[in-house]
Amino acid sequence: MKTALKLDHVSFDYGQKAALKDVSFSVADGTFCALLGPNGAGKSTLFSLLSRLRIPAKGQIDISGRSLLQDPMHGLAGMGIVFQQPTLDLDTTVRQNLIYFAGLHGLRGVDAHHSITRALTRMRMSERADEKVRLLNGGHRRRMEIARALVHNPRILLLDEPTVGLDAQSRKDITDHVHDLVAEGLAVLWATHLVDEIGDHDQVVLLHEGRIIADGPAQTLRGEDRLLDWYLHRTHAENVMP
Amino acid sequence: MNHYLTAFQVIGMRELRRFFTQRGRFLSALVRPLVWLLIFATGFRAALGVSIIAPYQTYITYETYILPGLCAMILLFNGMQSSLSLVYDREVGPMRLLLTAPLPRWWLLFSKLTASVLVGCLQVYAFLAVAVLFGVKLSLAGYVLILPALIGVGLMLGALGLLLSSVIRQLENFATVMNFVIFPVFFLSSALYPLWRMRESSELLFYVCSWNPFTYAVELVRFSAYATSAPVQMAIVAGSGVVFFLLANHLYDPARR
Amino acid sequence: MRALITVMLCAFASIGHADRIFVSNERGNTVTVIDGTSWEVLTEFNAGQRPRGIIVSPDGTKLYVCASDDNIVRVFDTTTLEELHTLPSGPDPELFVLDPSGRRLYVANEDDNLVTVVDTQTHEVLAEVPVGVEPEGMAVSPDGRFVVNTSETTNMAHFIDTQTNVIRYNALVDQRPRYADYSPDGTRLYVTAEIGGTVSVFDIAEDGSPTPAGKITFDVPGVQQEWLQPVGGLVTGDGKWLFVALGPSNRVAAVNTQTLKVEKYILVGERVWQLAFTSDEEYLLTTNGNTNDITVIDVDKQEALRSIQVGQQPWGVAVAYGLN
Repeated sequence: MKTALKLDHVSFDYGQKAALKDVSFSVADGTFCALLGPNGAGKSTLFSLLSRLRIPAKGQIDISGRSLLQDPMHGLAGMGIVFQQPTLDLDTTVRQNLIYFAGLHGLRGVDAHHSITRALTRMRMSERADEKVRLLNGGHRRRMEIARALVHNPRILLLDEPTVGLDAQSRKDITDHVHDLVAEGLAVLWATHLVDEIGDHDQVVLLHEGRIIADGPAQTLRGEDRLLDWYLHRTHAENVMP
Repeated sequence: MNHYLTAFQVIGMRELRRFFTQRGRFLSALVRPLVWLLIFATGFRAALGVSIIAPYQTYITYETYILPGLCAMILLFNGMQSSLSLVYDREVGPMRLLLTAPLPRWWLLFSKLTASVLVGCLQVYAFLAVAVLFGVKLSLAGYVLILPALIGVGLMLGALGLLLSSVIRQLENFATVMNFVIFPVFFLSSALYPLWRMRESSELLFYVCSWNPFTYAVELVRFSAYATSAPVQMAIVAGSGVVFFLLANHLYDPARR
Repeated sequence: MRALITVMLCAFASIGHADRIFVSNERGNTVTVIDGTSWEVLTEFNAGQRPRGIIVSPDGTKLYVCASDDNIVRVFDTTTLEELHTLPSGPDPELFVLDPSGRRLYVANEDDNLVTVVDTQTHEVLAEVPVGVEPEGMAVSPDGRFVVNTSETTNMAHFIDTQTNVIRYNALVDQRPRYADYSPDGTRLYVTAEIGGTVSVFDIAEDGSPTPAGKITFDVPGVQQEWLQPVGGLVTGDGKWLFVALGPSNRVAAVNTQTLKVEKYILVGERVWQLAFTSDEEYLLTTNGNTNDITVIDVDKQEALRSIQVGQQPWGVAVAYGLN
């Protein structure tokens, strides 16, 4: 399988405070990679670097084999991003939100229409296309944002703690949906601090205090332990509850 | 190239839609200059007209004098508001979504800027329409010729807002910007008083006003409203607009952060 | 130089049909000549000491100017601007009117409480009519049967029968009447009162007798009432509008003569004094004494278009129609 996303010795700091230290890992096509770590571990900083809001102080980020720093347009075109905070225009319809995003990616007219319909279908949101976003519940709003991130048919999907604030059922639905997408060949980087969103065959990258302290299939990493126990043990964060 | 235009179009459509759905923002943009026009200018009516200065060919009432300045004020508020919302939205929200579009950042910023200028122009025309109801009006040609001036001035002020949003990191909220940017820029200009009147009261004030690019923005709108060419004003507005934008674009470069 | 200007003016005269506008400058002792199309000042010439009242003869050839401090009326050719002759006027002539035929000039002599009647062809004084104290405003009825004089201190309008040169009627008006104007059909007379702040309106009967028909008052928000001093006044040809110059309030009022209500105040220069129409009443001209300019008002739109610098302290304005 080909490498969709690769970080190579990436460091970043906010002035005095180092946020990421020498981070290296990669995600292959058709892989669900959980970026696991407690709050403040550096997950959001890593997403800032991947979405090119910030530029790493050191290191390289490759998207589909090309440097994000040197060829950001190629990188951004190949990524779908779902931010932690909702970025929705509440008073417009689902479709209008998607048309806006499609336009930003250069899709218009019939092309945009088809892409949007396909993306909504993939997230089983077709019947809600013409509803006002304000009227949707939290789970559907998230699904709409994931559909939006798929409109331009990216190879990589980045999600920054996408289940925050959702009820258990919605959380499970969305986690399952995204796992289904992986089965279709998409590479997914899913930041979370909730281990129950991670399947045994998923890749886990454990981020702690800006460093990667573990990287491998969940099953291999946890061994005989439960994943939660392994996680708590490795991060010494007994107070973090799922 | 098609991609650029498509993005420009959806950004513009989004701003327009927001403008028409956010009635509160629209109303406050309309009420602010009207308060100046109706309350402030009426209080000054006793000052029996403003003496003749270009581009006016005869005596004018104070309401007539401040009309172009109030149009520029709308664009100033609009430019600052939209550019500053940009800063606060940068970490999260719609701005972040915008900046992840696979297009050069300068084009995304420029599109956003232009879209907000369009909205600003709509606000100005709404204000001018209400002003007509109170007897303060321009000629038909004035209403048409004012548009390019409004766009130019809007872009310049939007670029200034963009620049401020990228330089002044300590600006916490809009009130601070009001006190330290909008009010000085507005009051230390020819918007409310002609420069000669400023000079009568203080030579220093006069020099400050004549170094304020907003003065030239106001005068460009004023001259255009009376179908009079204003090459100097145009050059200063265009020049400062380009400088502001280039500086802002440079400071928005993610590599700097 | 004078000859050159004359040639230039003649050249202008032969090519166009615009108006030639004459403004008397009270302090500058000159008359300013303005082209009624380009609105450019063509020239300014000496017109004696303290020129005030100014009239163009009905045929457009002669310009009459009251040279108040010379105690004389000076007469100029409107084309060449040469002084043709003078007319006796009695002491301190301020305002005057020509009868519709252009034959007789009626001059108000402020200091002597007289109206002097002068023959414009023989240059002789035909009569001196005793009137009230400080006579000033003058109007002639369209049929020429009556001349109205207003006296500033007596606060009256005196109706002089032009056949007999005797006062036939008197009508009380408000304090310090300044100016009087008949409607073009002769059925109305308007008399402005500077201190009173009003315009008295009279209906004029067949026999020329006046009946009070109302008063026009003025009010500009934000402007003190005592600044609203009506001075010059002028009625449009259709009789529907009366324009009143309001002195130190820097405004001209447009009055609907049906309702006697002001419908618009038009901002002009400071101390607006006298008024005149251009051809076909397209524009109204105002003299603004303190700002040394005249303002051109679009009569239909009732909007000030431009102001033109003239000499020092402009007082009166007269138009030679279609001369330029």
